[in-house]
Amino acid sequence: MLMCQDVATLASDYIDDELGPVKRLAIGAHLLMCRHCRSLIGNLRTTREIISQRSYDHLDGDYARRLDAAIGEALRHPDNGRTGPPKDPEAR
Amino acid sequence: MPTPQDRNDESDLIARLRAGDTDAYQNAVRRFTPTMLAAARFYVGVDKAEDVVQESWIKAIRAIQTFEGRASLKTWLSRIVVNQAKNVLRQSGREVPLESPEALDPALASRFGPNRRWIQPPTLTSHETAEQWLERGALGDCLDKHLAALPEQQRSALMLFEVHQHKSDDVCNILEVSASNLRVLIHRARQRMFLMVEHFQETGEC
Ligand SMILES: [Zn+2]
Repeated sequence: MLMCQDVATLASDYIDDELGPVKRLAIGAHLLMCRHCRSLIGNLRTTREIISQRSYDHLDGDYARRLDAAIGEALRHPDNGRTGPPKDPEAR
Repeated sequence: MPTPQDRNDESDLIARLRAGDTDAYQNAVRRFTPTMLAAARFYVGVDKAEDVVQESWIKAIRAIQTFEGRASLKTWLSRIVVNQAKNVLRQSGREVPLESPEALDPALASRFGPNRRWIQPPTLTSHETAEQWLERGALGDCLDKHLAALPEQQRSALMLFEVHQHKSDDVCNILEVSASNLRVLIHRARQRMFLMVEHFQETGEC
């Protein structure tokens, strides 16, 4: 029998649709009977929505300019600090 | 899904990066650095993340010549960051710390009785939208503060998945974590944010 604590444990998988059909249905049935778990799930959904809406993409301007300068320097002096061929991060 | 237009933009950008076009680098820095910082923080924390990302950009200048485009540019750059971050850890003799936390936050787990039913149920109603929450202006600031204060690994996982909209497979590939580990990190981060909102609504304090 699926209890409230189990719903809380699986809550993110439920709202992201990452559960198999059996567990999904069991949680759906539990939510029909249990307003506390409905509240938890509803609020986790709202939390997810807010986080994805808010922009945390802000890049510090000073840091961006430091990167520009370092990259500019490396482009002008391409042979500085070279030792052997670069490692391709795709090749793992 | 990237549209054909996105792909064109991306191959155009890659060609300009290969040619050493500084404008293209400035554009790419502003587009991809936030994601790269999130990936770096997973391994080295906030203090060393900026240095790791800077080194990664320098590495990328050379590596872009042999980039095959199997992954998106953003994912490829983030992989360079993670390799670089792990090198830094190795050089300082530190192990890669991989938390494997419980799926339930202890503060939430303590609110269930032995029969696994709520003894201290949520106090928030479930009918409020994100807009209604954010109408109480201070809540937005409080969310930002708590997001910044999450454990680094939870924060990185949440940022890559939710804010930078990477797919799960992609996040696992970038951070080198299993799918189940990623699920736990995301769930733990959301629980902390939920508990924070609940506390804020009850007390008006962040
Ligand atoms: Zn319940």
